[in-house]
Amino acid sequence: MPGGAGRADCFQGKDLRMDQFILNIVHRPEMVPEYAEKVTGHGQAEDIGRKALLTESLDIFKVQQECAHRNGLKTTIEMTYASLFNDEAVELAKADHERFGDEIGLTLLGLPCREFREKYKTKDFCIWMFSMEDKKAIVTDVFEKFYEKFGFYPESTGSYYMDADLICFIKEKYPSVKCAVATCWEEGPKAYHTCNNSWYTFMDGGPWAPWIPSKQNTHAPAASEEEDSGIVAIPHLSRDLIACYDGNGSNFGTHPQNVLRGMIYDSEKWEYPYLYNLIDQYRYQAKFNNGYAYNMMFVGPGWMNKMGRWEAPYELLKKSYEDGCAYYGKLKKEGRLVDMTMSEFADFYRKKKSYTEPECALWRDILYGSQKQLFWYCDPFMRVGVNMDQGGAIFDLRPYVAKLNWPVGIGTPHIQDASYPFLIQEKYRAGYFTHYAGEGTIRSAKICHNGEEVDLCLCRTKAHFSQEGKNRILTLDPVDIAFADMTVKLQTVITFTEGASAVKIQRKVLEMSDPQAEVTINEYMVGCYGTTEYPEDMSTLTMWAEKNGVRDGLSYEYKCREISMEGAELVACKLPPVETLVSMTCEGKDRIGYLKEGYAFSPMFTLGYTGKLQEKEVFTTWLNLEKAD
Amino acid sequence: MAQSGKGRLNYRCPSCFMRDLDIDMFYDKDKKEYYCLRCQYVGTEEDVLEKNQMVRFRYRDMYTRYSENDFEKFEN
Repeated sequence: MPGGAGRADCFQGKDLRMDQFILNIVHRPEMVPEYAEKVTGHGQAEDIGRKALLTESLDIFKVQQECAHRNGLKTTIEMTYASLFNDEAVELAKADHERFGDEIGLTLLGLPCREFREKYKTKDFCIWMFSMEDKKAIVTDVFEKFYEKFGFYPESTGSYYMDADLICFIKEKYPSVKCAVATCWEEGPKAYHTCNNSWYTFMDGGPWAPWIPSKQNTHAPAASEEEDSGIVAIPHLSRDLIACYDGNGSNFGTHPQNVLRGMIYDSEKWEYPYLYNLIDQYRYQAKFNNGYAYNMMFVGPGWMNKMGRWEAPYELLKKSYEDGCAYYGKLKKEGRLVDMTMSEFADFYRKKKSYTEPECALWRDILYGSQKQLFWYCDPFMRVGVNMDQGGAIFDLRPYVAKLNWPVGIGTPHIQDASYPFLIQEKYRAGYFTHYAGEGTIRSAKICHNGEEVDLCLCRTKAHFSQEGKNRILTLDPVDIAFADMTVKLQTVITFTEGASAVKIQRKVLEMSDPQAEVTINEYMVGCYGTTEYPEDMSTLTMWAEKNGVRDGLSYEYKCREISMEGAELVACKLPPVETLVSMTCEGKDRIGYLKEGYAFSPMFTLGYTGKLQEKEVFTTWLNLEKAD
Repeated sequence: MAQSGKGRLNYRCPSCFMRDLDIDMFYDKDKKEYYCLRCQYVGTEEDVLEKNQMVRFRYRDMYTRYSENDFEKFEN
């Protein structure tokens, strides 16, 4: 059996309803590790065939394997192209497969080596950035070389990103492949910036936990068998769902040296409780995902460089990896973790999850002491981020329903930019707060009374998760809104119905200090589209309000126009560049739908509803996403 | 004056780190100081270590170990 001969299916006979925390540990013998040549080779002319570099790289791989095995953990060895030319690396993989049940897979990372450069005449090394013609040639070359060395084709592969065309090609030509490392969560402009604008991994907007990629777009999960690309994707590392959204992703993941890179450790005692908190908070996510949670650790050899890395000496780099493995090993011994190879995990995942079952995460800040809490939701139709510190505002929205055909690599419109576009991204296009003028992207509500206005973005609260049938419900603790002559106790409930491609938001007035009073509610969404911090051309957008088949609308011309319609059944915006139609619908007293065009200094669109609320009343809106024709 | 090189460890500029930039510094062995190519930071190894300690100010929970019961427990 390819890569897993003699193994027992580790989940067979186990009750899948019980909480299960699954771990994938992946190692790659990367003969010319990223960074190593640049960092340790400083002061020498480039030579990726240096014997010292090759020897050190293999030594690090051996150390990593030993760390995992010493703690009773099996690994997936992802052979690199370069390592397939090294007999010792091949023999090591075979031996560890026999002895420990490690899977032998094949990564598309680690392409650089003398043989690759001579053959392909390029220093490119990210598979998704090559032309499709080169992708096919390289994949064929690498997979056939793997077969030549091992006598079977791999079941697992991966890279930092795997575009949909690449995945489909691999699956068609090498159907044995069932699992792939396919994205790095929220690694995009932030990583580029952190690396002095020299690290071109633009892949924001994907799932943070395993998923089945659609044939059309890797980030967007498949909604059905027809859309199924045929593999289970896993993210590169399990990342902090608050810290990574605003900071450098490579500081806050289940990669012990990431935590050192972020300087999140006691520099005297060499201790890093944050790493264990991160692992444990991932374990906690089983509560929101029908008893299942996941972690992935994948450390390239370059991160355990003998010369040290960042400010950390080799001894600390090694210790952190040993400690990480030891913690996972301890959890396993306590029966709180199941280690799997990647292909084992793919089988497990397909039995455990349906296409439309969402991934949910209720995540708190475990590092900065802010007590902020976010909720992330991901299904085949959308990825949504909700911020409880802003009253339950939606601060990130990706319309997966569009299943955007977004080819990447040389010869396509997106050579490096593999990010899935957003409609809302509060860091790149502002959220509630803007400077001086204009608006930022956010989905929130304002409560108005006697000329005063309070945005729920300024009402800090917390949320509780519940599940009722197909509904995942986020119930926020009530907030008090203080006006000059009255207070209002208001509660927000957000419901995600599996397969609905909509977010239902209810605002309930629990109490008013003046029970006869009435307030105005203004539910709104400010949106735009893009993948980076910089504005895009909005002139192809159209917006309208609709009632009884009658539409009143406009084409976006940056003219700051507004339209409102009493009793509107729907307000909508069509965004052809991202093939998305976003709309709001409403149930509430005296509802008036409205839309606002932006202007050059505020290139946004706004959709919304106003209405009236009294004590014990509820105002309900839905945010709906569809693929635009 | 000879060219600069890497120092004993691969120190990054603490000033740039504060703005989420990882910039390796270079070492001027004549002046015994590290310097940043991108910004104007210059400092001895001792100063770099001191500033690295300072940049941790934002990690207020860096030494906290959460229990499994803490993830939805918040102070009032």
